[in-house]
Amino acid sequence: MKLRLQITKDRSIRFISHLEYARTLMRAVLRAKLPVAYSEGFNPHMKLSLASALGVGVVSQAEFVEMELKEPVPPAEAAQRLRKALPAGIKVLTADAVDDHAPALMSVAGGATYQVVIPATDADQISQAVGAFNAAASLPFTKKAPKTKAGVKEIDVKFYIPHLEAELFGGKLVLRFDCRITPAGSMKAVDLVNALNKQYGLALPVELADIERLDLYRVDDLGRHEPMLAGAR
Amino acid sequence: MTKRDYKKEFTIDMLSAVEKPARYTGGEFGSVVKERADVRIALAFPDVYEVGMSYLGFKILYHILNRMEGVAAERTYAPWVDMEKLMRERSVVLTTLETKQALAECDLVGFTLQYELSYTNILNMLDLGGVTVLAKDRAEDEPFVIVGGPCVFNPEPLADFFDLAVIGEGEEALPELVTVYKNWKAAGRVGGRTGFLQAAARVNGIYVPSFYDVTYQEDGTVQAVTPNQKVAQPVIYKRVVRDMATVDYPTDPIVPFMSIVHDRIMLEVFRGCSRGCRFCNAGMVYRPVRERKPEQLRQLARQLVDNTGYDEISLFSLSTADYSCLDPLLDGLLKEDFKDERVSVSLPSLRIDSFCIDVAQKVNSVRKSGLTFAPEAGSQRMRDVINKGVTEENLMDAVSAAFTNGWKKVKLYFMIGLPYETDADVLAIATLAKKVLYKYKEVTGKGGAMITVSVANFVPKPYTAFQWAAQDSLTEIKRKDMLLKEAFSRVRGINYQYHESKVSVLEGVFARGDRRLGAALYKAWQQGERFDGWDECFKFDLWQQVFADCGLDPHFYADRVRGEQELFPWEHVSPGVAKAFLANEYRKAKLAQLTHDCRHGDCTGCNVCQQLGVNVVDYTGQMPAVASSTLSAAAEKVAPAATAAATTAALTAKEVQPQ
Ligand code: SF4
Repeated sequence: MKLRLQITKDRSIRFISHLEYARTLMRAVLRAKLPVAYSEGFNPHMKLSLASALGVGVVSQAEFVEMELKEPVPPAEAAQRLRKALPAGIKVLTADAVDDHAPALMSVAGGATYQVVIPATDADQISQAVGAFNAAASLPFTKKAPKTKAGVKEIDVKFYIPHLEAELFGGKLVLRFDCRITPAGSMKAVDLVNALNKQYGLALPVELADIERLDLYRVDDLGRHEPMLAGAR
Repeated sequence: MTKRDYKKEFTIDMLSAVEKPARYTGGEFGSVVKERADVRIALAFPDVYEVGMSYLGFKILYHILNRMEGVAAERTYAPWVDMEKLMRERSVVLTTLETKQALAECDLVGFTLQYELSYTNILNMLDLGGVTVLAKDRAEDEPFVIVGGPCVFNPEPLADFFDLAVIGEGEEALPELVTVYKNWKAAGRVGGRTGFLQAAARVNGIYVPSFYDVTYQEDGTVQAVTPNQKVAQPVIYKRVVRDMATVDYPTDPIVPFMSIVHDRIMLEVFRGCSRGCRFCNAGMVYRPVRERKPEQLRQLARQLVDNTGYDEISLFSLSTADYSCLDPLLDGLLKEDFKDERVSVSLPSLRIDSFCIDVAQKVNSVRKSGLTFAPEAGSQRMRDVINKGVTEENLMDAVSAAFTNGWKKVKLYFMIGLPYETDADVLAIATLAKKVLYKYKEVTGKGGAMITVSVANFVPKPYTAFQWAAQDSLTEIKRKDMLLKEAFSRVRGINYQYHESKVSVLEGVFARGDRRLGAALYKAWQQGERFDGWDECFKFDLWQQVFADCGLDPHFYADRVRGEQELFPWEHVSPGVAKAFLANEYRKAKLAQLTHDCRHGDCTGCNVCQQLGVNVVDYTGQMPAVASSTLSAAAEKVAPAATAAATTAALTAKEVQPQ
């Protein structure tokens, strides 16, 4: 069976890298003594994968991990065992089991919900910018793409993020939005802030952006959001 | 950083800007967070996180202290230069990882002295933590700064900066000291700082530098070290654990998020090494050898694997291949305890003779990674001078066995600048390395061996036979390096690596330095010197200027031959080794005479056991053929009652299973 879990990356450990996070999960699986499967071959590795990579510094309520077990363990029991084996900054929220042939979790995510909190004061300027963003048909942005030849890539922010909700209080701007994930990729939440700064002349301090992924979900044929795990929430 | 005007938080932009931010955020599995405590002690490692987290001593002390009621032991490391810059710009204080207490808010701050080149980091960490750097200026409410660790056997260059030192092993001494502190604090800090220091000085093994006055002769050498307080003993002898089975071993160590230098389980099989290499400080200060029983080690290994999720166990000690029960231990671990699990065993060092090739294969059955041997010197005469006690034949047997068994990469460790060394001895390094290269051809019938020759500069250390010797000067070392470069210049298949000589000058100065060096440390630190052990940070010119400004002569400390009668700055803290024994070893070195290992009986008279009232604990290799079921029948043999076992000549192989 495949065990699927929704887990968190809390504020306290937001700066550990994706690789470190994955390695921590593997060690926790060993401590929990779950009967996890390994690949064949000279250098066997644990059959465990994360649904989508999270940027360093991003907090998450919605990390999804999938692992293949050699023998079935009731998901609730597996979750309980893992809870004891994980560091305080990783919590298990829900657990589910599917059979071995179910499509990889990695491939089914259709979008993510983010919250970005960032210092800001000029309410008028911000509400104008957010209004313009929501009304715009497209917003071209050149993002960094270190793996490509050019090193940059032209994207349309509005394709990924159709709508923004914004609130300003206590000197902080709180942005909430859904961001589309396609088989070809997605965009980083921080690039939304970069795009807003560029397009609307805002001077939001990107380096202080406090970013949190609130959810990750599937999108059905009608465009409705469905939870990643059956029976969740 | 001045106290109380600092911030504690690493902001998002700071952590985003630095290399490896996980160094600074804690929260690891197994870390102990106690919000309330009567005594909070920071275990401070004066280097970056990934180095400090690999240090076994702090794993042990963290565990032992945190088991004490009302005591919180927390960790702190030297921030790398990128983070330090941001911290200073924004007045962010250095805190512990667990409860984010500024060092200034802790009761005790304990530094480990692992290497001399980390000393500037100690000053820097104190300052970043809001603690007054000079001990004499520390206010009543500031923490007490403690030092310990291997370099504590000459703590004098740091005497201006620490309040007290734990000499020797901390497992028993530190809890005693913490209890004294707790009582002093509960009683209303009777007598102020001096009151505590007086109480602390009554604990065996605790050294308070301000309780001693040092006077100097006209020639600059020490005239006398005199106690100025009634409680101060003329000589502080080290603390030593009599029986390793009686002290707690950490079975639930912290499992870091990020990769650290030794990212595996460290299982200490024994403490001490009595092979008696004349250059080796660890071999003298950790005496006598005390082993753990294999049954206990197997139990510990089980718990460690279960609690950490690590899949590699390193059998740790100064020379693990000398463990009397190595074979049954390996069989027990690999053929029984973990036979159905993906757990491998590695050895940080390994003796290479035919027996050990078996061991090497056991611990390294999958990967044919490189082997590392440490003949230390190129010529037989020189190896006898340093009492390495290995022959060329041993090395050739070892490498043939390795090559026959599929190894291709060999790394050889040597030193240059040893006492009584001639150019012929230096060149013998090249000859020996070439013989190893040819051996591969002879054994396999083809070329393609990869031999790395790593050459380090010898630095004389206190409490060794060579404590009287002069370190080679920079020019002499450079000349010898050129000799070797030339000798290797047209040899394909040998990669010659040489270590920076300027750093070893500084190491040499501080290793055998005295209190007057405190002024130089302070000045160099003020001028921005830190992380001296890191090439990208070390500034030799700056140090030279600082020594000149302070009126100190580095040559006086590093490359001066010391007189037979000279009183050394470190003699009032002692590992128990008799000076006469060391002097005799120095004489024997000149004659290239060997001294055997006392491990299996037959005391060679270093006097540690007699002085400290301890014994060698060796469970002897007399394992019956029926092995595992009768393991517990192995009798404990205590030297000198045990009969002397022939000392097998040996080479050391480091990192049998490198990452
Ligand atoms: S006193 Fe004798 S037995 Fe003890 S460590 Fe020294 S040489 Fe070995």
